[in-house]
Amino acid sequence: MESIRADKIVKQFGPVTALDGVSLEIGAGELFFLLGSSGCGKTTLLRSIAGLETPTSGSIHFGEKNVTQLPPHKREAAMVFQSYALWPHLTVGRNVAFGLEERKVAKKEIDERVKQALELVHLGAMVDRGVDQLSGGQQQRVALARALVVRPRCLLLDEPLSNLDAKLRIEMRREIRRIVKEGGLTAIYVTHDQEEALEMADRMAVLNQGRIEQLGTPEEVYRSPRTPFVAGFIGETNLLEGEVLDVRDGFARVQTAAGEVVGRLSGWDEGDGPPSGGAKVVLSVRPEAWALDAPGESSVTGRVVDRSYLGRMIRYTMETAAGRQQVVELNPETLRTPAEATVKLSARPADVVVMKP
Amino acid sequence: MMKRSHALAVLMGVSLIFLVFFIYPSVSVLSEAFRDPGGGFTTRFVTEVFRDPVYVEGLWNALLLGVVSTLASFVIAFPLSLLSHRYDFFGKKALSVLILIPLVLPPFVGAVGMTRVLSVTGSLNALLIDWGLMDPNHRFDWLAEGRFWGIVVMNALHLYPILYMNISAALANLDPAMEQAAQNLGCPPWRRLMRITLPLAMPGIFAGGSIVFIWAFTELGVPLVFNYTRVAPVQVFQGIKDLSGNPAPYALVAVMLLVSATAFGLTKWFFGGSTSGSQPRPKGRGNEVKLRPLASLAVALLFFGVFFLASVPHAGVVALALSEDWYDSVAPLAWTLEHFKEALGDPLVVPSIENSLVYASVATLVAAVLGLAIAWVVVRSNLRGRLILDALVMLPLAVPGLVLAFGYLALSQEGKPLHFLVKLADGPALLLIAAYAIRRLPYVVRAAVAGLQQSNPAMEEAARSLGANPWRTLRRISIPLIGANVAAGAILAFAFAMLEVSDSLILAEQVKHYPITKAIYTLLSNLGNGQELAAALGTWSMVFLAVAIIGATRLAGKKGGLFKM
Repeated sequence: MESIRADKIVKQFGPVTALDGVSLEIGAGELFFLLGSSGCGKTTLLRSIAGLETPTSGSIHFGEKNVTQLPPHKREAAMVFQSYALWPHLTVGRNVAFGLEERKVAKKEIDERVKQALELVHLGAMVDRGVDQLSGGQQQRVALARALVVRPRCLLLDEPLSNLDAKLRIEMRREIRRIVKEGGLTAIYVTHDQEEALEMADRMAVLNQGRIEQLGTPEEVYRSPRTPFVAGFIGETNLLEGEVLDVRDGFARVQTAAGEVVGRLSGWDEGDGPPSGGAKVVLSVRPEAWALDAPGESSVTGRVVDRSYLGRMIRYTMETAAGRQQVVELNPETLRTPAEATVKLSARPADVVVMKP
Repeated sequence: MMKRSHALAVLMGVSLIFLVFFIYPSVSVLSEAFRDPGGGFTTRFVTEVFRDPVYVEGLWNALLLGVVSTLASFVIAFPLSLLSHRYDFFGKKALSVLILIPLVLPPFVGAVGMTRVLSVTGSLNALLIDWGLMDPNHRFDWLAEGRFWGIVVMNALHLYPILYMNISAALANLDPAMEQAAQNLGCPPWRRLMRITLPLAMPGIFAGGSIVFIWAFTELGVPLVFNYTRVAPVQVFQGIKDLSGNPAPYALVAVMLLVSATAFGLTKWFFGGSTSGSQPRPKGRGNEVKLRPLASLAVALLFFGVFFLASVPHAGVVALALSEDWYDSVAPLAWTLEHFKEALGDPLVVPSIENSLVYASVATLVAAVLGLAIAWVVVRSNLRGRLILDALVMLPLAVPGLVLAFGYLALSQEGKPLHFLVKLADGPALLLIAAYAIRRLPYVVRAAVAGLQQSNPAMEEAARSLGANPWRTLRRISIPLIGANVAAGAILAFAFAMLEVSDSLILAEQVKHYPITKAIYTLLSNLGNGQELAAALGTWSMVFLAVAIIGATRLAGKKGGLFKM
């Protein structure tokens, strides 16, 4: 268990810049997520921390120790690979024992720790199986046990659940979080699945084009995205363009094509102060933040063009003067808003986020 | 998916061809060796072979040649494939093609150059005398005691590309994460090689190794040129002259067949079922490390050095063909193009080129059509027999060319079942074509199977769903998708057929039917400038082959595909 620090990591593959000056600090015992779409640099960052890629510039520290130049086999950062990378010429037990053998642990202790590790992932009976005989979920758990058994300084997970079916994936999310937390491990988890990140992460970094767009807890990132990219990537949202009318106490009144909307400012650092009147901004309103025909004032109206009943919610597509809006009504009583109806749309100011474009 | 009836027809047809032209001749050699004149079963002839010290020595030497050549090939091939697997270095793409070329530099021809380099009055001794390292009056005859090693060197420098390609393919098919996981768990590079990379590459090493072993074990051409007669293949070749009365050649061939088949079978048994490396490669990121300039140059030089060494004998052939006077000097003293002209005037040469072109072209066509049909059944049908068919077409790799040639020869004698083939073509043309085609069929099939497996059947189904009939689907989608693979396999088959030694030497008996290799062999023993003429003919054929192999590797694109078993 150790903290991890990355300073201004740049990684170039020929003309392509995969990482463009990424800095972050991960606390000891934290389950940290790197989130982004494919090609954003998240896997490159993870592999740089593992030592499988050498950054073009920048440094990586485990605790106080600079490991930037340390070869991967000396880093003690155990990795779970997306393809699991179990060795087909070794049994399950021998796969798990591998790292301990490399560390010259006594034979008796190896047997014991392998047994414990396999029991931790509920595969105690599979020690002597060949890895080809396991299902995808079992292979995934062997890969996890193989990394855990060496008691690594940190655990690195590269999209570990992407090859599993949906049901198993959800099961394994809780399983992995339980194991990481019980072991008090520092873990970095790479994924493109924002739901996985929201459910499991202590903190997360959203990456885009080799840079960190935002860093924070799931709640911070979901409730207060600092950029339109983050707002759109984490969860579903409606983005509206507008101009600031006035600002008060961290809230802004914004004129959009559909009418006036009040929202909370996000992404303005203390240095540059709040936006002035007339500044161009982007608003993010989550589908569940819009309320249809709620009591109170609102100048935004919309017409229902599509409506689908999904049981736990109703999803509406509304045509407004600012374009189509997705609206979700949770726990609906009945289909009270008919198709083609024109209704008032309103949102609580705290649920609307005002960002720099 | 293929129609069941079509698949069945192909399966039957191919099986029949295999039965007549492969199984039957091979088995008949075996049965001849185990049948007494009265028709009963006997092991007398085989035990007699093992009692005769000359034959025992021949077999022992052949076995040694096989084992030592395979080890030597491995020593060359493994470091090269590991380097190219792990590192990115200067000129890697070009060098990895260059490194394959020696495979089609005919060792039989190269041996001619080698004798010129290593003889008592050859280049090496001349060089040593020039440098003052040897007394001109006490010359060392490299080819007297050292002949065995000369053959090993020729074999190794000729056959290492087979191992190189198999090992490279095995390594390329590994999930790079397999090695990275070991690294990540604290395994330093050297131990990673021993614990992970090497065990996982074993199927590739043994697949290539068994082909190399069988090839070297039954090599006829090189020992013949080196005049190394105490080796089983040469003994068989010389025994042919009195085939009627002497059962010993049959027994020798039978023993060689059994040894080869055992080597092949054991490999399949131990590694055939292994799935490691055969699964489609996951899209993990490679571990290729870019080398620093100096190290990069060193690796590039190593690759080039191996190619250079492998081509020295052949450079010797070219020099010999161009030499006006080459005696007791490092390089010829005077150069001339006369031999090339003279060679074209020799009654042996032009007809032999024509013959070889005809035999090789027809054989390639046969192999390509058969190979494509077989691959189609194997990959795109669900016939139960398809896996047996897949295994069956690989068998020619286990049966030495010498054995097949011997079987054909025996079965095409007056009054024997295959005699009609000789009558039909008024010569051995059909026999040679059949032998060439059958023996190189595995390469074409593997290439085509690889191509078909890579192309998703959904692509064909998409064409069908858009209204293309099966024939147009084949023409517009399938052939363009796998054409390169089949062409690569076919070019390789053609190159091998052009320079095939054992079938050619044994089956072509009259001068007018000689293919190139037999013409070279005959020229070699001519007095006067026979050697130079043979070298000139050899040079022509090598230029030709170099072009063919470069074309083939270009088309195949991926290393290894052609030689995977």
